[in-house]
Amino acid sequence: MPIVELEKIRKVYDTKVAVEGLSLTIEPGTMFGLLGPNGSGKTSSIRMMIGMTVPDSGRVSLFGKPFDRASLHRVGYLPEERGLYKKMKVLDQLVFLGQLHGLTEATARARAVAWCERVQITEAIDKKTEELSKGMQQKIQFIAALLHEPELIIMDEPFSGLDPVNAELLQNTLIDLRKEGKAVLFSTHRMDQVEKMCDSIALISRGKLVLAGSMREVKSSYPRNRVHVVFSGDESFLTHAEVAEAKNYAGVAELKLHHEAGAQQVLAEAVARGTVINRFEVKEPTLEEIFIEQVRASFGDEEARGIVDA
Amino acid sequence: MHNIWLIAKREYTERIRTKAFLIATILIPVLMGGGIFGVAAIASRSKTTSHIAVLASTAQPAQDLKKELENGKDSSMTVDLLPAAASHAALDKEMENKQLDGYLVITAATAVGRRPTFDFKPRSTADMATSEALEGALHTVLTRESLQSRGLSAAETAALMEPVTVNIIEKNGEHGDSKTSFYVAYVLFLLMYMVVLLYGMNVARSIIEEKTSRVFEVLLATITPDELLTGKILGVGAVGLTQVGIWMITAGLLAARMGATSGVSLSVTQAVFFVVYFTLGYALYSAVAAALGAMTNSEQELQQLNMFLMMPLFLCMGMLVPIVTNPNSMLSRIVSQIPFCAPLLMDLRISISMPQPWEIALSIVLILITIYAVLWISSRIYRVGILMYGKKPNLPEILRWLKYS
Repeated sequence: MPIVELEKIRKVYDTKVAVEGLSLTIEPGTMFGLLGPNGSGKTSSIRMMIGMTVPDSGRVSLFGKPFDRASLHRVGYLPEERGLYKKMKVLDQLVFLGQLHGLTEATARARAVAWCERVQITEAIDKKTEELSKGMQQKIQFIAALLHEPELIIMDEPFSGLDPVNAELLQNTLIDLRKEGKAVLFSTHRMDQVEKMCDSIALISRGKLVLAGSMREVKSSYPRNRVHVVFSGDESFLTHAEVAEAKNYAGVAELKLHHEAGAQQVLAEAVARGTVINRFEVKEPTLEEIFIEQVRASFGDEEARGIVDA
Repeated sequence: MHNIWLIAKREYTERIRTKAFLIATILIPVLMGGGIFGVAAIASRSKTTSHIAVLASTAQPAQDLKKELENGKDSSMTVDLLPAAASHAALDKEMENKQLDGYLVITAATAVGRRPTFDFKPRSTADMATSEALEGALHTVLTRESLQSRGLSAAETAALMEPVTVNIIEKNGEHGDSKTSFYVAYVLFLLMYMVVLLYGMNVARSIIEEKTSRVFEVLLATITPDELLTGKILGVGAVGLTQVGIWMITAGLLAARMGATSGVSLSVTQAVFFVVYFTLGYALYSAVAAALGAMTNSEQELQQLNMFLMMPLFLCMGMLVPIVTNPNSMLSRIVSQIPFCAPLLMDLRISISMPQPWEIALSIVLILITIYAVLWISSRIYRVGILMYGKKPNLPEILRWLKYS
């Protein structure tokens, strides 16, 4: 039973199409990455997923049933626009938000304290939110989304603005939750995080789905045509006929080849010309490269058809 | 329901705990009570205590004037009697040193039957109280003198000079005081005016607070905008009612303490209608404020729309005098039916002079219908407006929002 199922949802604000015919499925126990450039419809899609806005057409199902507000108690949401009551004490705030998600006051209080320990902000518990650093506020919001032990966790840009230590702490927490069988959906522009953490991804651009599937599927659908070379000496091999694109950073080069098989020929050529090869690695494209390529393509196609407004 | 309760409870407890609430609770009645009763008390009880000099060539009427000014009804001044030849320059000097507040020069009448002339030179021409007291005292003295010169005895003169009192009888047959019942009506009016204005704005502000701090994104993930709106109006409203409740109870205790001596009484009818109209008026203005809050993104933008909330209240303020002087005129009857004015003006009419029962019933029904309509509109605006930020919506956009479900 999929946790989230979107079927051809569409949302139009006045004249702007925010989401167009988006379909996707999230299975339990997956870490799902929702990717896309700024303004591509990620937040609009998430808002429809949790009933903050209603799609103009299409179907939203949560936990195998058509969308129903009662199932929101099983969802935890961290919005991109972070917000807490500034004048409220941290613990009161967490208890209040926990109660809104259907917890009793006592349970909410006990869990809030336990979570504050888990993410190492015990000292903040009795302070007002406005006295805390941005990173701490973000952790509190993170806790608020998880307090009611949701089965579906939706996080819009969860790691933005965190230092590497705290980002890793929260990443590990999410990985632990996934291990407990919870579905985690997060949106981000940080492809390295997605590559490291996600099982499945969906890439949307201009409101449309351009790429979806498990991380393995997505990557294996692209040829292993990238080469990372560390060399010294003659660099004429970079102009070999098989090389489509080459970026040379004085002794370290990133190559994109026309075919997977071309790598051996390029290496043979380099050796033949007496170049000293310290490292020669054939790779699949990184997610970042796929992302940029796909987003460019989605914009390019539309421009080609002449329907892009200025 | 549970969510509405949680929102209202948070709104209530967070507000009650603030210093602003405590200060407003204490300061508003002190300022208002001090303002109204203070001025009234000073105006009615205080006597002029200026120090003046009287320059006269003859003993009368200067001596009678001195007696009247020193022990009169409205004055207890200090009066020095000086011969007419006294140096004006010396007196001017004394005035400059603030030892003297002014001097009166009496020039005897040139012909029989004519009044003497009186020239008063005050230290400050703005000192109306002293010159009015002088005029009053001179009038009394001259009238008495003239009566006595026509052969009336001192007792007869005193009887003639006795002031007239008009007894005010209330409907229940008891003696009343039109001044105090006016003050009670006035205080109730001002109380409602201030609380509606203050707490109406608080509803708008608390909505903006959620918008600027973006908390609603988290809240809307579990509750509906309607629940949030209702909870907020109830929560902030309960704060207003608590505050008014504290004031009323304190006033009641004080009145019971001072009892008959204060002479101010709030009848049960007045109190009941005040609570009814206050609650209705409060709900109405909160609903309007909520709509304003939903349309705007910041306090500054709210200030610009503020006038929509203020205008009906100003109209009510302007109608205060016409209604007090003529509570049952056609004008009074019409404006007190306008739903935005009815809470204040109908209540004012009730405490001054009871209108027809159908008028009261009609005004309540009209207010209820308006509340429903405004809430319907504001919940629509709120539902859409809460998720729109960055840009201030224009009127066509707001009208379009009303069509969204």
